[in-house]
Amino acid sequence: MRVLVYGCGQLASGVVRSLISDATEITVLGDERSQLERLSSFPKVSAVLMEEPIMRDYLMEAHIATADAFLALSTDDHENLLVAQIARRMFNIEIVVCHVEEPQLQTVYTNTGLSVVSYSVGVLQDVQFAINSI
Amino acid sequence: MFVVIVGCSEAGFFLSRALTATGHEVAIIEREPHRYELLTENMGMVAMLGDGADREVLRMAGVERADAVIALTGVDATNLVICQLAKSLAANTRTVTIVKDPKHEPIFEELGIDIVVNWVQLALNALEEGIPGRPLRHLMQVQPTGMEVVCVTVPTWADAVGKHLGDLDLPPDSIVSLIIRHGHASLPARQTVVEAGDEIVAAISIGLEQAFYDIFTGV
Repeated sequence: MRVLVYGCGQLASGVVRSLISDATEITVLGDERSQLERLSSFPKVSAVLMEEPIMRDYLMEAHIATADAFLALSTDDHENLLVAQIARRMFNIEIVVCHVEEPQLQTVYTNTGLSVVSYSVGVLQDVQFAINSI
Repeated sequence: MFVVIVGCSEAGFFLSRALTATGHEVAIIEREPHRYELLTENMGMVAMLGDGADREVLRMAGVERADAVIALTGVDATNLVICQLAKSLAANTRTVTIVKDPKHEPIFEELGIDIVVNWVQLALNALEEGIPGRPLRHLMQVQPTGMEVVCVTVPTWADAVGKHLGDLDLPPDSIVSLIIRHGHASLPARQTVVEAGDEIVAAISIGLEQAFYDIFTGV
């Protein structure tokens, strides 16, 4: 299985570490050099540094066409929605997960063939639960 | 027409002024408080302070009754989300945006944006039309067939000069539709002889410009 991970912040890095296995080949696309170096030191993990996102086609460079799964996990909701939709609609990747910080975006993009996830929904519920239990 | 414009930088400002001046109703969503104040105080424009990538803000600006929503935030990804949010509110509202990255043009069209303006292509077309002696001009694209109409001027040194049109090895799917010679247009035939200075107007497949150009200008 080949997995492409877009983003290299805390969430993306955590997901990459949890996915590491002999059967999974992971390519991480990110803009933080030190973080990418750390991640690509793991077995079967490679990295593509996106220095100037509009200058080159980094998705092609990461061989998006041959990916089995695409995870858009950067810290920018709009970028995630853009690349996730490209992966799903232009490259027909079956499994596309897109993280959004803004919960309303999760609702709007639910029926677009993407798995839209948002931990802020969980955080909101947890906060409400904590307040109510005081 | 009622138009909602999201993001009022220079492009948004001049566009809304032009629309207002021609009798259209415009509502502007601007996130930056300073710009918002300038718009309302000095320009007397109908502006709203808020994030246009928020569905509720779009709704309050009147997207549901708008004829068009124009996303001009200057960030391609954000413009895409704004247009898609607008569509989710009102499926019949036309969505319009300008892309910075030309490769986003076909992608945004595939993702449901009605009008995608590719300013790089526009600038290129304008340059090609405006600079004399520039040999291949793009006249129009025939969407969504993948064809375009181009025009090339035959230089005196070209190998094609003196040959019959029918003998030229044109790229597949390309059809010479018109020849303009000494200011007069004529319909070409296979036995038409190419002359220096001829303006060759043709429909060709996008991507075959170079091959087509080489036939009429090559030595």
